[in-house]
Amino acid sequence: MSNLARVTRQTFTIARRDFVATVFTPTFLLFLLAPLLMIAFGTVGGIGAASISKGGGDKLRLVIVAEGDRARALAAADARLRRIYRERERPPPLVTERAGPDAARQARAMFDAKDREVSAVLYGPLEKPQILYSPSGGRSADYLAELAEQVLRVEKTGAVTALSEPTRVAVARTGVSAGGQTQAAFFAVFGLFMVSLMLAGQAVGTMAEERSNKVIEILAAAVPLESVLFGKLLGMFGVALLFLTFWGTVVFNVGALLPVQVSGRLDELVPAVGLPMFVLLFFGYFVMAYMLLGAVFLGIGAQASTQRELQMLSLPITIFQVAMFGFASGAAASPDSWVATAAELFPFSSPFAMAARAANSPELWRHGLALAWQALWVVITVSIAARLFRRGVLQSGSPKLRLRKRPAEPAIDNTVS
Amino acid sequence: MQSDLAVSASGLIKRFGERRVVDGVDIAVPQGMIYGVLGPNGAGKTTTLRMLLGIIEPDGGTRRVLGNERPREVSDQVGYLPEERGLYPGMKTVQAIAFMGALRGLDWKTGRKRGAELMEAAGLGHAVDQKIRKLSKGMAQLVQLLGSIVHQPDLLVLDEPFSGLDPVNQERLEKLILAERDRGATVLFSTHVMAHAERLCDRLTIIAGGKVRFEGTVADARATLPFKAHYVPHFPDDGLPALLPADAARDGDGWRFTLPDEGIEALLVKLIDAGYGISGLSIERPSLHDVFVRIVGHKALEAADVEALGEAAA
Repeated sequence: MSNLARVTRQTFTIARRDFVATVFTPTFLLFLLAPLLMIAFGTVGGIGAASISKGGGDKLRLVIVAEGDRARALAAADARLRRIYRERERPPPLVTERAGPDAARQARAMFDAKDREVSAVLYGPLEKPQILYSPSGGRSADYLAELAEQVLRVEKTGAVTALSEPTRVAVARTGVSAGGQTQAAFFAVFGLFMVSLMLAGQAVGTMAEERSNKVIEILAAAVPLESVLFGKLLGMFGVALLFLTFWGTVVFNVGALLPVQVSGRLDELVPAVGLPMFVLLFFGYFVMAYMLLGAVFLGIGAQASTQRELQMLSLPITIFQVAMFGFASGAAASPDSWVATAAELFPFSSPFAMAARAANSPELWRHGLALAWQALWVVITVSIAARLFRRGVLQSGSPKLRLRKRPAEPAIDNTVS
Repeated sequence: MQSDLAVSASGLIKRFGERRVVDGVDIAVPQGMIYGVLGPNGAGKTTTLRMLLGIIEPDGGTRRVLGNERPREVSDQVGYLPEERGLYPGMKTVQAIAFMGALRGLDWKTGRKRGAELMEAAGLGHAVDQKIRKLSKGMAQLVQLLGSIVHQPDLLVLDEPFSGLDPVNQERLEKLILAERDRGATVLFSTHVMAHAERLCDRLTIIAGGKVRFEGTVADARATLPFKAHYVPHFPDDGLPALLPADAARDGDGWRFTLPDEGIEALLVKLIDAGYGISGLSIERPSLHDVFVRIVGHKALEAADVEALGEAAA
């Protein structure tokens, strides 16, 4: 058997063991359903926040102090204007009050009412109305002023029915909009960030199992450490793929059930390279992002001797991921800037930035180069991680690369015997 | 290097920091033999085995394993049981054996089949589907050994295989080692328990302080020390020592001394003529333990133990 074939076989043996050990456990189900829990918690939180907001909003009122025809005309104008707004953007309901002997005092007193919360009050002649409003009622005051204006216009023109009879035609965009591309780029970076945050971070603790079970010497005797690390990456990648396939299927089917208005808006998010190619490139960059970040995390995690050290490492690792996300987001926002070029060249932000590039620019040749560049860095990162691991755990290797003479707690006991 | 050697090494050196823990070790393990690497704690046995297997790289010297100067390239033909035992606790025993075989090139299906057969033969058939975490320490150790032989290696390297085993499992392990040799494999194992080495080894080397102190058969080792006599007089008195050899020393009711070159007969005649008589007499062949203690030395043994304890504590 050739060396390459043997190393490949050994790598897949490690990957298979890790995949099976991860997937065929009850905790994997919890991991698989974690997004559902996130959505559930988010929904519960959102409902709570909405009900608090609604509770306050239900009591809000606009008040006009007027009588007779003016009062009816103002109510009719309110009914016409209110139709333009979406439900959650509509002004508070309009209430009409009869004018008392002192309208100004009456209007002021309304703001202290216990049974309702008045946002703005209009009184006086419509030609020169007085509008009082609460600190947050500036827009309500504008709305009442517009009502007065509308009523006067109708009175002057004498037209009760609409003067304009528009013809409405819905038009679908045939080309790709710049705004849609930028949004698609941002979604690509964000999507890649989320999946790598959830999945690549898993690699941090995988070597801890071998260290705590003392299996590492069995592996190190049979398999090159590069194969051990790469096998572990592949195993965890298999888990990530299973996760993505499951959720991809769910999202695809949910997407088919979305209302036309929502799916129509999603249609505007067309990437510059076209959707099928974008899906392919997104997958390619996901593989690279996973492998690159996973290799870094695996290498860093392999240096940790205890769970406490692993926990300490999780913060800088998350900061690193967020930094890559920020870097690539900058690239998505301004694809022709030096930031974009730097993010595309820097190996650990390159997959994110290039996914954004696929949304922003139709050129394909860059992606071939970028994938090759990223693959090279996967190999370099795994090699460096293996070297560090060998030095830290096995106390062997080139003396020039020695980082420390004595690890605090080597996984392989180097007591001489 | 001879082609009939399964393992050979010349001038192996390994330093940890400033300390040379292996200092120019030469080793030659003929094919098809059980070869013991003996030495006190801290002698450099494990480090030597790890260098031979390519787990760690030597700082000097050469090595050849199964005809290859790069041990990793023949790793599929080697089985290894490290001193620190390790298995995945969540795996079933037969899966663990198959996994270790798969690492060495055996397909999973064959690994599972052979694993079940090996467990049955080793008297562990009832535990085939048990998870590792449910096994006793001794059983887990045997499972790991079965994992190291499931791919039928040409060379089996065992580092302190008997440590932590009860007498029943020690006997099982001895049978397994002998069966491996009978199959044609070369077995190289380290130990500091002389009884196992004496029963099993065709050849052995004694390492102390990182250097080889002896190499040969068990018989060769014994031959480095003369036979001893243990004489119990029938009528002892204070004048007896004057008739005995110079190294005679009290041992219970009698005296122990090195057998004279000319034999025991003349001495016995003298003792009987002087009226001491013979209440008891035994001629004792030196044990491997005696050889080991003489070669390594009591002080070196104590020093090595203290040093090893210090390192373990660090």
